[in-house]
Amino acid sequence: MISLNLVLFISSLMFFIGVAGVLIRRNLLIILMSIELMLNAANLNLIAFARQSGTVDGQAFALLVMGFAAAEVAVGLALAVALYRRKDTVQADDINLLNG
Amino acid sequence: MMPSFVQSLWTALWQDAPLVQAPFFLIGIASLMLWPGDLLIPRDQKRRWSLFTQIILGITLYLVVVTPHRSGFSNMFRIDTMTQAFQLICTVATLATVVLSKKLLDLMNEHTVEFYTLLLFTLSGMLLLCGATDLVTLYFSIELMALPIYVLVGYFRDQERGIEAGVKYFLLGAFSSGIMIYGISLLYGATGGTTTNFEGLSTALVAAMDARGTMVTLGVLMVLVGMAFKVAVVPFHMWTPDVYDGAPTPITAFMASAPKAAAIFAFAKVFGVAFHNIPNVWTFGMEYMAAASMILGNVAALRQQSMKRMLAYSSIAHVGYMMLAILSNDPNLSIRSFSGVQSLWLYIFAYLFMNFGAFAIITFLQGKGEGERIDDFRGLSQRNPWLAFAMMLFLLSLAGIPPLIGFFSKFILFKMALERGFVVLTVIAVLTSAVSAYYYLGVINQMYFRSSTGKDSLKMDRMTGVLVSVCALMVLLGVSASGWLIDIVDKIKL
Repeated sequence: MISLNLVLFISSLMFFIGVAGVLIRRNLLIILMSIELMLNAANLNLIAFARQSGTVDGQAFALLVMGFAAAEVAVGLALAVALYRRKDTVQADDINLLNG
Repeated sequence: MMPSFVQSLWTALWQDAPLVQAPFFLIGIASLMLWPGDLLIPRDQKRRWSLFTQIILGITLYLVVVTPHRSGFSNMFRIDTMTQAFQLICTVATLATVVLSKKLLDLMNEHTVEFYTLLLFTLSGMLLLCGATDLVTLYFSIELMALPIYVLVGYFRDQERGIEAGVKYFLLGAFSSGIMIYGISLLYGATGGTTTNFEGLSTALVAAMDARGTMVTLGVLMVLVGMAFKVAVVPFHMWTPDVYDGAPTPITAFMASAPKAAAIFAFAKVFGVAFHNIPNVWTFGMEYMAAASMILGNVAALRQQSMKRMLAYSSIAHVGYMMLAILSNDPNLSIRSFSGVQSLWLYIFAYLFMNFGAFAIITFLQGKGEGERIDDFRGLSQRNPWLAFAMMLFLLSLAGIPPLIGFFSKFILFKMALERGFVVLTVIAVLTSAVSAYYYLGVINQMYFRSSTGKDSLKMDRMTGVLVSVCALMVLLGVSASGWLIDIVDKIKL
């Protein structure tokens, strides 16, 4: 059986790659993917801990998180399309009308 | 013995169903409104949905009041007087938003059923969030609340500012919820995968603190960051001014009251119940955030030219005061002592009326084709004395000037914090609220002591008139009704 520390290490690695992606990359779609990575890191944790404790609560929670991630992407992509129609860009740096 | 699956399902469907009657009623009706409801209304008659939504919200108010008091769904959800009180604030705020939006949507010719259904969906999320007593239900009701608001912010999709605000809000909101869910997963792991229930966590985390201290600390701090993003406290406030500025004005009014009330109540419950026994982990962070919000919110509001941005910064400051109430939930008393939350409720109740009154007036002026800059309020007293007087009441109440309700709620909150020993924070709060009087009085100065050049008098329409008058009445009578209010607040107990 894979040790829990290894799972924790991998999930935290995924999480920080996600955070770094959100902070560094400027493309809206890539930011969206990085956010998905953060959610999946949490999912990995939930499933591993549920397996360890022998209950299914964590696994059910992970399923719900996946459902939520899908809903979030739907809204996010819709907003990205609306932005692209107005401004012909999906770069976060071009969202600058409201700065100040 | 664990109940069998069939047994649990039976309990959930039959015994516990009344607990969620109001949110489920909203979800059901909103879905029916989208289909087949929208097919029945011809394209040029969509404004009828406004009245229909108001009726639905009236029924929701009734359903919220008659909900039985107990916990259900395997202790994941719980209704008590406190919860109901916050649910009522959320419902009333949504109702006021619907009333306020009608004129603007008429003007933009943008009446669609989606606007109203999104409002109903987000309200159902708030009602669930108020009752959540488990990290799972907490997380999902926060998302149910937030997702429709992202869309509502970008509702006018041919206005660049609105879409930009929507995208910005979405990115930061999704990012913060990613941080929060990772924190929740760490906490779940720290307890050995046994519980996510608030009451369960309050004991399990103390035990876990010895064995897996780092995990608990990281988890609690991540949940703190996620919640702080949702309620917009410094240093997680960057999105607030931009989003408040870019969103349609009624939605700005809505965001400043209803989701904030629900999120801050959830905040108080998570930290007052689940993390209540490990105060060393989070108290310092929260004290820092409260102080920073009060200072930065009020100082940044000083130099704003736009009314909406000014109110956005002032809302950051007000959330700072509300954090004071969360902190003064005495950790030494039993878990059930929620007197800090009572003063929190009173504060949000007062804030609801001042805030909606002010935004109703801004929406009305925007509807007349005028801007939202503070300069645009110049000479308002000559053009419509009642409107200017009402605006003055709201602004003075926001500043916390005595005979108004804003003073009353602030006074009780500060007194509570002082009794709990937060002397430095209370001093900062009093000083910064003196600073806030400066920029509120600046607007009053523009309205009363500058003359408007070449603008005609304004005539109020009926809806705005009613909304502004109700808010003004509440703000004025707040203190004369204080005895009555305190009685109500006294009844609000867990």
